[in-house]
Amino acid sequence: MEKEIFNQTNIFFDNESQTQDEAFQSIAKFVSYNGYSTSENDFYEGLKNREKESTTGFKDGIAIPHSNDDSVVKPGLFLVKFSNAIEWDSLDKKPITVAFVLSIPKNGSTEHLKLLSKIARKLMDENFRQTILENEDKVVLATTVDEI
Amino acid sequence: MAKKLVAVTACAAGIAHTYMAAEAIEKAAKELGYEVKVETDGAIGAENKLTDEDIENADLVVVAADIKIDPIRFTGKRLFVTDSNDAINDGKAVIEKAEKEATVFGKKGGKVGKIQIGSNKEKTTFFTHVMSGISYMLPMVIAAGLILTIANLYAFQKDDLGRIVKWGFDTSTPMGMLMSNLFQVGQVGFKLMIPLFAGFVANSIADKPAIAPAMIGAYISNDPELLHAKAGGGFIAAMLVAFIVGYFVLLLKKIKWPKILQPIVPIMIIPFIATLFISLMVFYVIGKPIAGGMDGLYSWLNWINANSASAPIILGAVIGAMIGFDLGGPVNKTALIFGTAIFTDTMTKYGIQHANFVPGTAAQAAISVAPLGVWLASIIWKNKFSKDEKAAASAALGMGLVGVTEGAIPFVASDPLRMIIANVSGSAVAGGLVAATGCKFYGGIGSPLGTFIGYIEQPIPFVTWILCVSAGICVTALIIGMTRSTAVIEAAKSVDE
Repeated sequence: MEKEIFNQTNIFFDNESQTQDEAFQSIAKFVSYNGYSTSENDFYEGLKNREKESTTGFKDGIAIPHSNDDSVVKPGLFLVKFSNAIEWDSLDKKPITVAFVLSIPKNGSTEHLKLLSKIARKLMDENFRQTILENEDKVVLATTVDEI
Repeated sequence: MAKKLVAVTACAAGIAHTYMAAEAIEKAAKELGYEVKVETDGAIGAENKLTDEDIENADLVVVAADIKIDPIRFTGKRLFVTDSNDAINDGKAVIEKAEKEATVFGKKGGKVGKIQIGSNKEKTTFFTHVMSGISYMLPMVIAAGLILTIANLYAFQKDDLGRIVKWGFDTSTPMGMLMSNLFQVGQVGFKLMIPLFAGFVANSIADKPAIAPAMIGAYISNDPELLHAKAGGGFIAAMLVAFIVGYFVLLLKKIKWPKILQPIVPIMIIPFIATLFISLMVFYVIGKPIAGGMDGLYSWLNWINANSASAPIILGAVIGAMIGFDLGGPVNKTALIFGTAIFTDTMTKYGIQHANFVPGTAAQAAISVAPLGVWLASIIWKNKFSKDEKAAASAALGMGLVGVTEGAIPFVASDPLRMIIANVSGSAVAGGLVAATGCKFYGGIGSPLGTFIGYIEQPIPFVTWILCVSAGICVTALIIGMTRSTAVIEAAKSVDE
């Protein structure tokens, strides 16, 4: 995984959010704070709009919320771990404890978009999901994602 | 034989669910004993695209998409449509459901899901084919080029006056012999890269049966002896061969061959007919003009030489332009041969003091402009080059510094029109300037370094030569950087990794 898209500072522990809406707010704040989006509010709206189309909740407590709104300036991957399990209408109906967030620029280069799509494929790998769910150490988490 | 399943996945953003669904279907299909191919219609366009053949052979088609997918190509096939989350949630269940519920698409009254006839971008272009060829050629250009660079560095020796003008290998010493062998190795690589390139361009157009005819055709088109010309057609002729073969083979594939012949069509009939066809084309349609064209160019140069004695800049610029035009091809070779011939001729007639140095010097000044210009552009405009291209550009730097012009070939092949304009302009500037300033090239490396590893008479020692050549390099780099099109950049980056 390229450093610009993902590095250790893109990992975030959210100890406060209790609802999906709160989670989206804190995700948007984090993404724009890290410089991937120029507008916290636009990114938040982007996440919400995407969720309206169909759930981004996946299985085993993992969700993959993403937005390609106009405020996104570069492709990014963020790993967010929630201490409160969050209702997400996921495929197996389990609440979410881990979110892989993607920021997708409208005019992203093929190279970068390919990297983002790789993480999506990787999520189908059960061992990968287990490692992400079971570890709390940023270094371990970062190395696991870096191996993609 | 295993049952065959093809699928298409797509989602709104084209980044996440498209690929998760693809992964889910691939895994589930394999578990259920299917041979499977999944096309992903994501934000970066369709990947792993289903061919007509894939669809024709499929027993079952699954579309797992949240957006409209054009189903027209699945007409007559058993088709099952669902959304991406269904597939992600349980790929196996989706396939099992498809086995039961899929309906033949296009049957009267058969309406399937929410799919609709819409956009379905065909993304193969001229660039896709050329880039495919280049990606196979690059490692060979680089390996051969670097070995040639090493050998070439060793080949320049001092004459009795201490001037570095002699080129050659002293094969009586072990080191000289080794370097001479390495030089040959590099030459073999440069000779092979032309058919290799053509073979894989043709492969990209028409698959395996096109490789053999394209390689054989390109080899002949680049071999001076076989062509009965003073030089081979270089990479431009090879590209021509590759495209002719590619489309000719596509045509042959369309023919309805008798049933008994069908098994041997791709392995025997098509390669045989296409090889025969392209060989004759090369001899009689491509080869003759090359030989004739070189003779014509040669007389034209003679005429310019005779009529522009008072303005050497003209001859210098023309020679420079020719060197940059096809990088080792017939036009380039004509200019080189002319330079040497004029020099030898005038030196034997009038002595070294009054010999005509103009064309020979201009040729040497222009040789390194294309590879070094490409390298400079790749340094200044980093984002406009793919990873592979940047590696190739570093190798071009090495080759350019020792006067091996072929380092720029992959770049020209990928975008001929713009790159030839850039190379010709820069090379003409370098050739014109050294002629105008009266530089005299006695021998050495045809690059900015020639001023140190070589012997060049010039108005300001060392400086004039370097400035003139560098001016040409900058012009080439500038034109490349300003004109590089996104189509080329995209195509180059898509073959990365």
